[in-house]
Amino acid sequence: MLNQKSKYLQIAFNRSFDEVRDMIAMLPASEKIIIEAGTPLIKNYGNKGITALKNWWSEKIQRPGYIVADLKCMDRGSREIEAVAEAGASAATCLGLAPIETINEFIKECEKTGIDSMVDMMNIEFPFEILQKLRKLPTIVVLHRGVDENERNKEKQIPYDQIHRIKGTYGKVLISVAGGETPRDVIRTFFNDSDISVIWRSFYETPENTANLAREFLKLVK
Amino acid sequence: MQIQKNRNKFNPIGLIIFTFFIAFAINPILGVIFIIAIVFFLKKNPKYLTSYFSDYLRRTTKLRSDLAESNLSIIDLNIQKILAKNEQPTLEKMALIKSAIPAKISNSLFSQIRLEKRKKYLHIALNNTLEEAREIISQLPTSDRILIEAGTPLIKIYGTDAVSQIKEMAPAGTYIVADNKCADLAAREVEMMANAGANASTCLGVAPIETIDSFIEECQKFNIDSMIDMMNVESALSVLKKIKKLPDVVILHRGVDESEFSKEKQIPYYQIKQIKGNYDVLVAVAGGDTNKEVQRAIFNDADIVVVWKNFYQSNTETAQLAESFLKEIK
Repeated sequence: MLNQKSKYLQIAFNRSFDEVRDMIAMLPASEKIIIEAGTPLIKNYGNKGITALKNWWSEKIQRPGYIVADLKCMDRGSREIEAVAEAGASAATCLGLAPIETINEFIKECEKTGIDSMVDMMNIEFPFEILQKLRKLPTIVVLHRGVDENERNKEKQIPYDQIHRIKGTYGKVLISVAGGETPRDVIRTFFNDSDISVIWRSFYETPENTANLAREFLKLVK
Repeated sequence: MQIQKNRNKFNPIGLIIFTFFIAFAINPILGVIFIIAIVFFLKKNPKYLTSYFSDYLRRTTKLRSDLAESNLSIIDLNIQKILAKNEQPTLEKMALIKSAIPAKISNSLFSQIRLEKRKKYLHIALNNTLEEAREIISQLPTSDRILIEAGTPLIKIYGTDAVSQIKEMAPAGTYIVADNKCADLAAREVEMMANAGANASTCLGVAPIETIDSFIEECQKFNIDSMIDMMNVESALSVLKKIKKLPDVVILHRGVDESEFSKEKQIPYYQIKQIKGNYDVLVAVAGGDTNKEVQRAIFNDADIVVVWKNFYQSNTETAQLAESFLKEIK
């Protein structure tokens, strides 16, 4: 489970098995790092991918590591969570765009299996509207700019102003920000009071630099 | 606005044959002249041969030009290397050979089945386990009007293996849909699914427009059908208006969780006609498991009906549903 007061760096892995294993071996062993099994990785390797990440990371830090399964659940909330929880994930994601019934079911099921629930607000203009409709709050709200969006449409921005508002209203939820890539972006997310910053591209593009990059980013996480 | 061209285009072949018989009846010499005239005419306009034949011609000429473009000796070498390794099972070898050939050529060689307009399809989604999938597939009747889907839970649990294994289980030449419900990084997902052997891939209608655009582009590149899943989208038309190119299939979808927890939400059947009237796409309806719902969807002019097995149903029931579909709906 995540500590409310600490800041975390979440690194998403999307490359092939062998490369990911090497990359994880290069990471500094820090509890501030959260390992994410990216959607393409899950769709490519299935549950095996999650279990493998869990084993590699737990071995590295010598205690059970925190693994996020980026399921992007859209329907059948209960079925998917059972499977990833069994595979060793500590948190799973659900799309904020999914039907409200699915998100409710997703959060309920996450609580039942004892993993953290993340609701991914990709392509949602007002995350507030979704949160209001929910029966229970998720553990973590992810503010997210999609990769395809970023590439093809530069003017869309991560709604940093939402962080304070969500935290002000709902207090207990953690906020994660995904879609920034440079150290500057990461500083900005923490400066704006988010709890988790998600990065992947720089690691994806230069796997051999993993160690340096992670150290550099970890310095920013206080 | 695009109007459905295929429906209204008339097929000249039937008319030509009819005229030919009349000409022969009147005067054999006239008939011979007529044959010569037709041969000349068809040589000049090959497109009037049946659409299937012209499609075949197009594919073979495309293959020839693709082969000419790429460096054959390298491909040849790669294939020889793969064949040299004896220990691999045949299926894996086929997949390796396929991956050694550039995507453009391999797609025309291992020709992809595409959906046809005017036909009605039954789309069976397999969501539980691969063992159950095997059992259901073994009971299904063989028909080109049955599509088999590797459902999202299967893909998330088994990865792309789910797609390739289902392709293996199904009779050769079955149309396989990978329900990957792409929400981001469309290019990578489409590539993965196409390489696993899927004939179609799905993308969420609620995803960012940029993702849907790149999804459709990628699908065309890999020569597979693109399906946009309109789950939780209020107006499918407004999404279709915003995207650059049209997908091949639009799926109107009620989620399982939605159906279970709020009964009053309905599949918007009226949208089928709206979409088909304005755009040249196939429409699929998802969200049913009984014969009645299937008939209702077809009655409302859907081209594809998506069904899945409910947990309380037996595998045989799904097979029976498929059989009655093939019998009743032509």
